This record gives sequence, C-alpha cells and structure tokens, in this order.
Amino acid sequence: MPQTTIYVSPRSLGAPDQRPPSVATTDLARLFAGSPALAGVSLRVDAARTIALLGSNGAGKTTLLRLLATAIRPSYGRGEVDGLDLDRDVALVRERVAYLSHATGLYDDLTARENLRFAAAMLGTPDAEARVERALADVALVARAGDRVRDFSAGMRKRLALGRILLGRPSLVLLDEPYAALDADGMAIVDQLLAAWREAGVTILIASHATDRLAPYLDGTVVLERGVVAAVSGVGVASLPVGPAGATTRVAEATR
Amino acid sequence: MSALRAEARTALAIARKDAVAELRGRHATVSTLFFSAVVLLLFGFALGPDSARLAAAAPGLLWLAVVFAGLLAVNRLHLLETDDGALEQLALYPVSRRAIYAGKALGGLAVMLVLGLVVLGAVGILFAVDVASAWLPLLATVVLGAVGIAAVGTFYAGVTVRLRAREVMLPLLMLPVLAPLLLAAVKATAAALAGDPFGELGAWLQLLVAFDVIMIVAGAATYGYLLED
Repeated sequence: MPQTTIYVSPRSLGAPDQRPPSVATTDLARLFAGSPALAGVSLRVDAARTIALLGSNGAGKTTLLRLLATAIRPSYGRGEVDGLDLDRDVALVRERVAYLSHATGLYDDLTARENLRFAAAMLGTPDAEARVERALADVALVARAGDRVRDFSAGMRKRLALGRILLGRPSLVLLDEPYAALDADGMAIVDQLLAAWREAGVTILIASHATDRLAPYLDGTVVLERGVVAAVSGVGVASLPVGPAGATTRVAEATR
Repeated sequence: MSALRAEARTALAIARKDAVAELRGRHATVSTLFFSAVVLLLFGFALGPDSARLAAAAPGLLWLAVVFAGLLAVNRLHLLETDDGALEQLALYPVSRRAIYAGKALGGLAVMLVLGLVVLGAVGILFAVDVASAWLPLLATVVLGAVGIAAVGTFYAGVTVRLRAREVMLPLLMLPVLAPLLLAAVKATAAALAGDPFGELGAWLQLLVAFDVIMIVAGAATYGYLLED
C-alpha cells in the first residue's frame, strides 16, 4: 500500500496548543420524538487529538457525531467546532469536518471513480483528477475504480467512503464504526489513515467498539451512557461542568 | 462573481452526476416515456375515433401527459439521492444550497425537455395534428413548460423524498401549484396550432415566463431548508 497523503488546511498546521478546541459542547442535547438520544453533553476536545467515543448501543455516540457533523441540529445546548457555532456557522463548520457515517453516501449507478470525482467537485478539491486517483490507491480500490458501486460489497463501499474523506482538507474527522464490515486489509487501511491524520495534526473522534485495535492511536476516551458523559480519560479531552439549568434539566422536563 | 462561478460549477456537477446515473439506470426517462405514451393512447381511446374531436383535445392531452409523466420523472431523479444516505452526504458538502437546487432542477429539465418533445411528436402522429407548421411557438411553449415543471417538481420532490408516502404526496402537493402552468401551456399550444388567430399566444407565453421566474426564485430560496434536519 502506498504512503497515504493527507491534505490539511492551514488551520490544522498551527501548534495544537495555539488552536481553539476542536470540539467544545455545552449541555448539547438531541431529542428524537420526545426521547433523548443525547441528554446534555458538555465536552472539550483539544486540537490534534484522537479520542474514542465508547459506550453501549444507544448510548448517544452516533447522535453526538451527527450533531458535530451538522447532519442534525441540537434540540438544546450548543456546540462549537474550531470555535465555530454548530447552529449559526453551519457552512463554515462543514468546510472543516469530514464524517464517515454508517451510510456511505455513495451513488449506486456511478462507478467508484465517478463517485470520488463528484465528491471532489463538491469539495472544490484542487488538482482533482490526481487526488481522486491517489485516494483510490490509498483505499486499495484502483482495480475496481471503473466498476459501479452497486456491485460493491459493504467493505468496499466503506473503503470508498474513506477515500472520499481524503479528498477534503478537514481539521476534524468523525468516524462512526470505521472498522465495521471491513476485512483485515480494510482494517489495516483504517489504521494507516488514523496514523496519517494524527501525523498531520487532524483531530479525530471515533465511535467504535474495537477498543483494542484503536488503543495505539488514542489520546483519550469518552464513555457515554444513556446520552450523558459517564467517564472521561486521557489527555486532550475533558468533560465540562454542567450548569444548574442546563440541557439535562430541560431534557428531563421535556420528557417527563 | 467567483461565488457565482463556483455555484454554476457545483450545479453542473450535480446535473452531470444525475445525467450519468440516469443514462446508466434509465430510471426516469424510460418509465416516463412509456407512461406518457399509455396516457395518450388511453385518452385517445376514451375520446373515440372522431379526428376533429381528437385534434381539438390535443393541446390538453399533450400537457396532461407531460405533467403526469413529469411527476414520475422528478420523483425518480430525487430517488437517486436515497441511495445509502446520499441525500445526507449531499447536504453535508460545503456548497451553496441554491447550487444544489439548480443542479437537481437542471437534471429534471433535461428529462422534461426530452419528454415534452417526444410527447409533442407523439401527439402530432396519434391525433393527426400538424405540429411542424407551428414548430417555433410550440418549441417555446414546451421549453417554458418544461422549465416550470422542473422548477416546481424539484422543490416538491425535495419535500417528499424522505416520506414513505411520497408517490401519493408528490402529486397532491405539486398539481395544484402547476394549475396556472397547465392552463397557460394548453392555451399557448392551442393558439400556436391554430395559427394564433386572436394574437393571444404572446400573452400566454409571458404568463409561462412569469410562472417560471417565480418558481425558480422561490425554489432556489427555500430548497436548502428541505435538506436540513
């Protein structure tokens, strides 16, 4: 596998301690049909750190990632990415965040190469053709680049979705179960990407159950339980105190 | 200026993506062409063999077939975005929401233009109507009608794409809004086929232009909200 090239924006190049926190949330909460998926999370993640979000199914990991990616809006509380508000500065946050979700966001009737070309056009990737080919090589899909995604396995789709992230210049990468559906080679690709992003000073938040595999890359962990932070450990991450009239209180009132 | 150029590039990339997917899957074009042919044949059977009656009904039948088939076309084009979370991914790209609307509408317009021209030809053959002698005003009517249907259809397909009952909701929402377009297009087509004896063609085409402008502006201004949570 060739050496992965990570393109970073100038905002990721400064010394990590001189950059604003990559993620700062205050009482961040999200309800679905009146039921809290995230019930008031106050968290700070420093720049250039790799943090794992741990917790059982339904603990709120995916909801937190989706809120930070601006895929959904908070019901209560507020959050910032690189000092930009998740609610007010949506467009600017989207320029800084790359998100790998459970769904791959790929078009079945396009080939792997066409999917990445489209993503490059949407991301305004400079030197797009060369970057697309390099991304295909980085996720080991060159041989299948001309095949329609409809015929891809779940693992190949995930690799292609990872390749899409390589076309942008994110300062924050959000990965939701990046090892799911991947074979040993695919998992090795994720390992290589994690190492490359860390090296480039990109902040990484990973929701995963593969804690042993992630351990060499992690600076810290956050454990979520029933939508709130249960424990925080490591460096570059902190759980902030919650105010008396915070979202947790409002969520409790809303769902009473 | 550079922002406008960036929006145009984004819109063209989305339209190109839809065109490639459509050419591969032929989701929208084939089904809508067959559907419009069936609609025309059934209306023809219902009206009987009286050629004068068929010719008189031709403008209305033409636009009913185009509008009904257009409903299918815009719905199918938006269904591309339901592939494995593609709509959410599209929304997360840091691009102008107007450009996304324009790109989706351009894809819809391409299908609607093909559909309108094919149905116009079919009406000429099936109902013995001389479309060749009035080709220019008919072409203008078809283009303006296609723009309006694509503009309205893109917006309402965006409204309904996440709904389970989208096939029912789309015509319920879209057809009332399209009523002015249907009226103007039928009148313009009838005037063009009759040689515009009362000089009303221009007024109906102006109404179509006004309808298109209003719907494009409204769609571009509001479509972005449909993409958000």
